[in-house]
Amino acid sequence: MSTPAAEHAPGQAPAGRIAARARGLTKAYGSGETTVLALDAVDVDIARGRFTAVMGPSGSGKSTLMHCLAGLDTVSAGQVWLGDTEITGLKDRELTRLRRDRIGFMFQSFNLIPTLNAAENITLPMDIAGQKPDQKWLDQVIDTLGLRDRLKHRPSQLSGGQQQRVACARALASRPELIFADEPTGNLDSRAGLEVLGFLRDAVDGLGQSVVMVTHDPGAAAHSDLVLFLADGRIVDEMERPTAEGVLERMKRFDLARGQLDGPPAATGDTEDKD
Amino acid sequence: MLKATLRSFLAHKGRLLLSALAVVLSVAFVAGSLIFSDTVTRTFDRLFASTSADVTVEPKQDLKSSVPTGATETVPAALAGQVAKVAGVAATHADVSVQNIVVVDSKDKSVGPTTGAPTIATDWYLTDRSPVKLTSGHAPQGAGQALLDADTANNKHVKIGDTLTVQAQPGSFKVEIVGIATFTTTNPGAALVFLDPATAKSQLLGASDRATSISVDAAKGVSDAVLKQRVAAAIGSSGSYDIKTADEQAKSAAADLGGFLDVIKYVMLGFAGIAVLVGVFLIVNTFSMLIAQRTRELGLLRALGADRKQVRRSVLTEALLLGLVGSTLGLAAGIGLAVGLIKLMTAFGMNLKTAEMVVNWPTPVAAYVVGVGVTFVAAYLPARRAATVSPMAALADAEVAGVGRPLRVRAVVGSIVGAIGVAALAGCAAATKTASSASLLGLGIVLTLIATVIAGPLLVRPMIRVLGGAFPALFGSVGRMSQRNALRNPRRTGATAAALMVGLALVGGMSVASASMSKSFDQQIDKTLGADFVIQNGSFVPFSKEVTDHVRATDGVGLVVRARFAPLAVRLPDGKRVETTAAGYDSPLDKVAHIKYAQGNTTSALAAGHLAMDVDFAKDHKVRLGSVLPVEFPGGRTTQLTVGALSDQGTAGGFGTQGGLFFGIATVEKYVPNGQDSTLYVNAASGTGADQLRKALDTTLKPYPQVQVRDEADYKKLIHDQIAVLLYLVYALLGLAIVIAVLGVVNTLALSVVERTREIGLLRAIGLGRRQLRRMIRLESVVIAVFGAVLGLGLGLVWGVCAQQVLALQGMKALAVPWTTIIAVVIGSAVVGIVAALLPALRASRMNVLAAIAHE
Repeated sequence: MSTPAAEHAPGQAPAGRIAARARGLTKAYGSGETTVLALDAVDVDIARGRFTAVMGPSGSGKSTLMHCLAGLDTVSAGQVWLGDTEITGLKDRELTRLRRDRIGFMFQSFNLIPTLNAAENITLPMDIAGQKPDQKWLDQVIDTLGLRDRLKHRPSQLSGGQQQRVACARALASRPELIFADEPTGNLDSRAGLEVLGFLRDAVDGLGQSVVMVTHDPGAAAHSDLVLFLADGRIVDEMERPTAEGVLERMKRFDLARGQLDGPPAATGDTEDKD
Repeated sequence: MLKATLRSFLAHKGRLLLSALAVVLSVAFVAGSLIFSDTVTRTFDRLFASTSADVTVEPKQDLKSSVPTGATETVPAALAGQVAKVAGVAATHADVSVQNIVVVDSKDKSVGPTTGAPTIATDWYLTDRSPVKLTSGHAPQGAGQALLDADTANNKHVKIGDTLTVQAQPGSFKVEIVGIATFTTTNPGAALVFLDPATAKSQLLGASDRATSISVDAAKGVSDAVLKQRVAAAIGSSGSYDIKTADEQAKSAAADLGGFLDVIKYVMLGFAGIAVLVGVFLIVNTFSMLIAQRTRELGLLRALGADRKQVRRSVLTEALLLGLVGSTLGLAAGIGLAVGLIKLMTAFGMNLKTAEMVVNWPTPVAAYVVGVGVTFVAAYLPARRAATVSPMAALADAEVAGVGRPLRVRAVVGSIVGAIGVAALAGCAAATKTASSASLLGLGIVLTLIATVIAGPLLVRPMIRVLGGAFPALFGSVGRMSQRNALRNPRRTGATAAALMVGLALVGGMSVASASMSKSFDQQIDKTLGADFVIQNGSFVPFSKEVTDHVRATDGVGLVVRARFAPLAVRLPDGKRVETTAAGYDSPLDKVAHIKYAQGNTTSALAAGHLAMDVDFAKDHKVRLGSVLPVEFPGGRTTQLTVGALSDQGTAGGFGTQGGLFFGIATVEKYVPNGQDSTLYVNAASGTGADQLRKALDTTLKPYPQVQVRDEADYKKLIHDQIAVLLYLVYALLGLAIVIAVLGVVNTLALSVVERTREIGLLRAIGLGRRQLRRMIRLESVVIAVFGAVLGLGLGLVWGVCAQQVLALQGMKALAVPWTTIIAVVIGSAVVGIVAALLPALRASRMNVLAAIAHE
């Protein structure tokens, strides 16, 4: 079994190929007896120009991992880099600026500001920064996502799939170093979900974007280049060029392990052994 | 269900905090004013009851002047002897007590109260009813000796052995303070000087055989009422005396004081009213928002089988709880407020004791009725709306519930009420009678206010588009979002702004009315005043004759025209009896005033046995030049006066001087003897400069601190200051309204921030900085506040212009709009918005981004 940590010793990875990186990333909630480890010394490298999926059962820490990598959450221990920038230890203002200028976000729901129309939502991060969007690029993104005739619509006038496409366009519009997508298809029907996944795939292949997607849907994960499996706060496995069946198969083993354990997540070690 | 309600109430107690505060404020003012006035009333009832003689004989008080005349009505002192012979009388005393005096110390500083309470000189006659006792020195003996009350002595640093000058109506005299008398009861705030009885009669009344009243003690076993009848039989009750039992005397004394106390009570109740009115908006908004946020929960209740009635009752029970908690706290705060007021009155020299505070049963009843009632009424509409939540809401996404409901009903009701209101205002402007015009104004104000409140949400979109129109250009997407957030829920924005609107409409209207009054008076003064200087008391109280004599004798004085006032009742040809106050002038009136006459002239107006009146008043009552009118003066003196002139000043009425009556000063001197001059109009002698004369007059008047010399500009300022007092009251009301309105804005923003938690989290996630977030909320707050201000001031301007039309009927024809005040208020409202946004913005910027976007 090989974890990314085994492949990349700290500091060795050429920065040019790495979009984000974590070393010994630990996130604990509570203190003393009641401490719960959401992330347990995770080492991970997110490759540039690839579509990485993070999978795991509920409570495995996959969302926490994304939040820590994206500078949304503080870490209890360890280091996180975005490109060459170490983001652990940055102040709120610097983190905010970093998210604004270098990261794109897609969430499961409530992705858009209801008072702004689609066009305003798409350019919001750049507006906040006081920057002019690159109009040519913007047009390309809008046309790719087929939003040209929806630009003046408010979110409430858009379907769920259209809303996610707007969110996708917003994430792409400022050409961020890394896009984080948190269950982007969770609230969509399968057709709209496939559409969004297709756009993310295209963004990686056609536009050279780097995407990290958190999901619990094996079908969605199958669109990625690499799946990282998380369980009980650790990366327990990874799968290159995944298929839905392969991912599903892998996930079933977690469920099996859980069923046998029938206990609290304190038994992390056992899970690790099984893997 | 009750358990669920209680849980919900406790769960939302933070969000109900500001609503509770609004209830507390309203109730506190209601309870505070009731407790305060009950306490003061009981204190003075006790004082008057304990100090009133069994029976008192006073001069008949048939005509009361709205303008002080400076005269003291008297009875013959010999009456005491006559009454003493009546069966059942144990003792009688001829009392002397006058208020038309000024007492100054050796540095020509008045020792009287600075609060407007009177300085009273009275005879030293100690009985068990006396409110004072001698605490040091000895009783006054003969002329030149006096006692002073301890409070005044303390406040003005007067010691035994000091010499004071008493300026009484017959003339000034010096007294040495030989003792200090201390109140054994509540000191009502007056300064008291005691003289021996003989000195009091001769020096204060100018006649040793007069008294101001006769106090009668009943013998054992004779009731006051019986004694009153016997005294009346002996001296004739219908004649020139008022005979009162101790109870009646105490009541009439309390009634005299009551006028002043009523003012305090009504001011306080005005505050309570504003607090209630503004508080209602706050409570409506809170409940609407709580229900919007709980749509899903209510839907679930409905889905689980709760019927509409139960849902409504659940919300109303919550309101009831809020009302009860608010009323209880408000009652406590009201007691605190009353204590504060009592302390304040003590600082002003009225010694009330907080330990004797009275809480009568109506106080808590009123507190709970107001508190619970207001909350209940305010929560009723939201509760009905809650009951209409369908069970489906439990399943649907509730984010936008209740936002897009059409405002059609509001539009219809608002425009109907508004149309009636505007019609009433138009009618007010067109009316020719003051009474009907004023009542139309009142109706119009109420209706237009209601219409604006109802239709407010409809005005939100167009007005905030304009007011916040520059935001996107100035503040980018932050500005755009704040403007649109304000537009998001027009009902909410409308109700929030309405709280501010009410107060500012009031101020707008009052400031236009008072500016118009000031301008009218200015024009009037410019038009009529021809004197170089006006000498009078700042509060128009008459002054002693010495002042007039000394002014006349001052070097450089060319002409002095005196003005005095007399209360009178005139029987008019149309059968009406009008009680009013008339002025008397010296004959060279034309030299100091420019009076326009429709018929006649100053000479014919001031001629002996003649009078002048306003031409419009004359027309209304069928008076013609040459009409002979029966006139009654105080003390039963009557005469007939011929109309010698009809003036056309355009200022009939006002200040209780209906009809604009005036005549020669000799008429006043004849029928109101012992009166004092109210005003002196002074012209410089030829060859004397104004500055030179002013210096001379200032020197002359130095021993008389109660009167001042004013030129035209000073005189205008005096009038402006009088009008400004009204405004200060309104500003105080406004202050309270703004405090509650700010609470309302804070409330709305705070609840909005909670409602928009996820949106804020999203904004923060995609890179909105904390400062930008705070700015967004601040801008939203500012635009709501300015919206309320513009709406309120717009309404207030309309009211003010209409009010001026009513004033115009009283002769105040000028219209002035105080633009600087209005612009300052708009800027002030923006500041209010910024202040109101402080806490909600801070809270939003501290919000945990992850908690906000979490969905697992």
